[in-house]
Amino acid sequence: MRVTVRRTVQTFIAVATVLSATQLFGASFATSSRVTREFQIDPAGSVWIDNPFGSIDVVGGEGNVVTVTAERTLTAPDQMSLKDASDNVALSFEGDTKVRLIRTLLPPMRNARWTVMVNYVIHVPRGVNVKIGGSKSAEHIRVANVNGSVTINGFSGVVMMEGVVGASVVNMVNGRIIYDYTQKPVARAQVQAVNADIDMWFPANSNFEWVANTINGDMLSTFNVKAGRFNGSVFHGIVGSGGTTINTESMMGHVAVLMKGSNIADAQSIRMNEPGHQAAPNDVLRQPAKKIQMPFVNGDFVFAASVADVVVGEVRGNARVETGAGEVELGAVFGQCNVTSLGGPLNLGDIMGSLFAHTGAGDIIVRASRMGGQVTTDGGLVRVIYAGGPMTLRSGGGDIIVRQFSAFMDAETASGDVTLTGDPAQKSIKVTARTLQGNIVLNVSPRFAADIDATILTSDPEVNEMHLDFNGITIRREQVGNKTRIRATGKINGGGERVELYAEEGDIYISAQTLTPIRLANPK
Amino acid sequence: MPDCDSMRENMPLLLTESLDPARRELTHQHIETCPMCVAEWSAYKETWSILDTLPELDVPARVKQRFLAEVSPAVTPNVVPFRRRSAPRWLAQAAAAVIIAGGAFYGGHRMTPRVELTPTPATLVNVQPAPFYSIAESRVLPAASISPQIEGRPDIQNVQFTDASPSNDQIGVSFDITSHVTVTGRPTDKSMVRLLRYVLENEDKQSPSRSRAIDWVRSTYAHVGNPDPEITEALANVLRNDDNQGVRIKAADTLRSLQSTMTDGTRDALVEALKNDPNPAVRLKAVEALAKLARSGGNMDPDMVDTLRKKASQGDENVYVRVKAAEALSSIQPK
Repeated sequence: MRVTVRRTVQTFIAVATVLSATQLFGASFATSSRVTREFQIDPAGSVWIDNPFGSIDVVGGEGNVVTVTAERTLTAPDQMSLKDASDNVALSFEGDTKVRLIRTLLPPMRNARWTVMVNYVIHVPRGVNVKIGGSKSAEHIRVANVNGSVTINGFSGVVMMEGVVGASVVNMVNGRIIYDYTQKPVARAQVQAVNADIDMWFPANSNFEWVANTINGDMLSTFNVKAGRFNGSVFHGIVGSGGTTINTESMMGHVAVLMKGSNIADAQSIRMNEPGHQAAPNDVLRQPAKKIQMPFVNGDFVFAASVADVVVGEVRGNARVETGAGEVELGAVFGQCNVTSLGGPLNLGDIMGSLFAHTGAGDIIVRASRMGGQVTTDGGLVRVIYAGGPMTLRSGGGDIIVRQFSAFMDAETASGDVTLTGDPAQKSIKVTARTLQGNIVLNVSPRFAADIDATILTSDPEVNEMHLDFNGITIRREQVGNKTRIRATGKINGGGERVELYAEEGDIYISAQTLTPIRLANPK
Repeated sequence: MPDCDSMRENMPLLLTESLDPARRELTHQHIETCPMCVAEWSAYKETWSILDTLPELDVPARVKQRFLAEVSPAVTPNVVPFRRRSAPRWLAQAAAAVIIAGGAFYGGHRMTPRVELTPTPATLVNVQPAPFYSIAESRVLPAASISPQIEGRPDIQNVQFTDASPSNDQIGVSFDITSHVTVTGRPTDKSMVRLLRYVLENEDKQSPSRSRAIDWVRSTYAHVGNPDPEITEALANVLRNDDNQGVRIKAADTLRSLQSTMTDGTRDALVEALKNDPNPAVRLKAVEALAKLARSGGNMDPDMVDTLRKKASQGDENVYVRVKAAEALSSIQPK
């Protein structure tokens, strides 16, 4: 009995201790203070607001006075940090009747233990110009009933523009941007974002020229947009009879111009190809973004998207993939394979038909190209495990590696190493390899026969050399300007197909090795 | 399979890094394509690592005395007699193969009940501590610090004789020597880190592939919990300075996989590459590394955020780079 009671007391004390400790350590200290100021300002003056953390409401009205109400909230885990915050956060009101500058001042290297948020409500004469900058995080930034120009530059938050008449420039990274025009737009609007959706509502009788651009999102409208045309990913169209320019650009979000009273769900996408459209470069950027992952496609696979991550295990027909950006992975393609990407890595498996693969930037890996083809990247590594047919490989800069080629191989990189290994079962194969900065390594079987023509152009002949495992090759050196040309020519094993190698500022290796051929499994 | 046999013969030498570059590449290629040899190679590596963990035991004093008594009367020649180079090499290979095969046997049978040896503290009696081996461009050594035994047939050239001070009996012999050195140690050992840093930053004269060093660093240090920041700094220098675009691509890619020790300097190198590198693949790898850093809540700075923002909006930049920059920005929580 005593034991039970003692255990109960011990448990109680332990729980109480844990609870009090939790409360003690989990507690945070906060303090709020409110400041109100009034300043005279010219009717066409400017109000600049710089507030890194916190919401900002700017409301236009009558009179010639700026009224600022700032509510400062500091949060810290302990009193000392709270005092540090209080000592280091200042509200600054500067300027004159032409320009009023309202700022939240933070130390450049602030203690990460405390946070600050200052919410401003600022009433201004309707005609002033408003400039909001330095915002890193805001629940919202709202500007209403202002006739002057408005400029907003922030990182994240919801921007709301209501009844703004003058020219406006909004530049955000994350969040959302909403415009609500209470009258027809008469001044230019330049709205840019990286990851934010942009929604703009206009009166039904509005006239403006719409310029829209997005990579990952869509372009939507409930207006009848006329004379639409694309230039790459940029759309130009006219609403009503045209007029001032409304420029909307969001990298990853959608952009929408909507008639007041309409719903975004009713909006039409204008990115889709219209009938009779003539194909043009970068057309793929007009396609909506997609992500696709499938184990197999029973037949041909045709796919196009502006931004896409494509993973298909097996295509039992031809594959044609076109993307603006993204990663493409095809496990096996039974027919022809044509993959074009403006940027992003390509990972291709067993390609049984002819292959054409290109990316604007990124690595290309091909496990097997049985019939050969063309693989090019504007920059990145090209790696082919097995090339059964003639292949052309190009890189704008990056290594090229072929683990086994059985037919004509043509490899060229602007800068990088080229490593090619010949099929040991082939006695002679035509090879062309070229690098403008790097080494070339050609591995072949000891009985490989060829007419060799290998050239090194180097500014340091002490460093760059020919390394040849075969006899019967003559090496000559000559001075070409301030560089040395080292040229090796001759027949190996009695001569055969031409092997032409060219390396600048690098070595050339022709290595005789006992090679193990790669064996491919037959498709099921 | 005859090829497999010859490749397996190479494996012990591959472990001890004694293969010449061509055979090393060939053996690696074979291992990557042959499932049986992959298993064999894994077993070798496992055994090698087990050997490294075995405790070192003191030689009993009685045994040591008897051994010294046996060897002390013998006169050690100071010059090894001439013999063909291939013979000792072959012997060394055979010895290495025997050691490794024995190790493999031990590794393969380690599931049987194991005899636990109690480690005893090592004691050194009247032994001078071995001086550090210094990897240096040139150095001066007193003859007393050099072993009288000349091993193998080192290639000595450009020999010069000096007698700087006639007042004493000191003479000097200076020469260039080409020797092959294998340094072993843990990836985290400072000496190993420094050596790799030097190799990464000064590999101009190495061949056949400069990017191979980066590949090796990536595969080695990706598994090390907390790689030394000097490694990432060396890669950052490669990213900044190397003319070879293929090498810069690999440096940026490797930095992405070694995020845990990314310093402000390495981050700045990635930002610089994203801003200015002419090769889109380098910019692509750099932005991917920065995106990963942003996702992990790593150290952001205004210049990095600003660069990402500009890149995301830059119309003439590669679309994939822009998308990745936007993704990175979406992960950033302003502080």
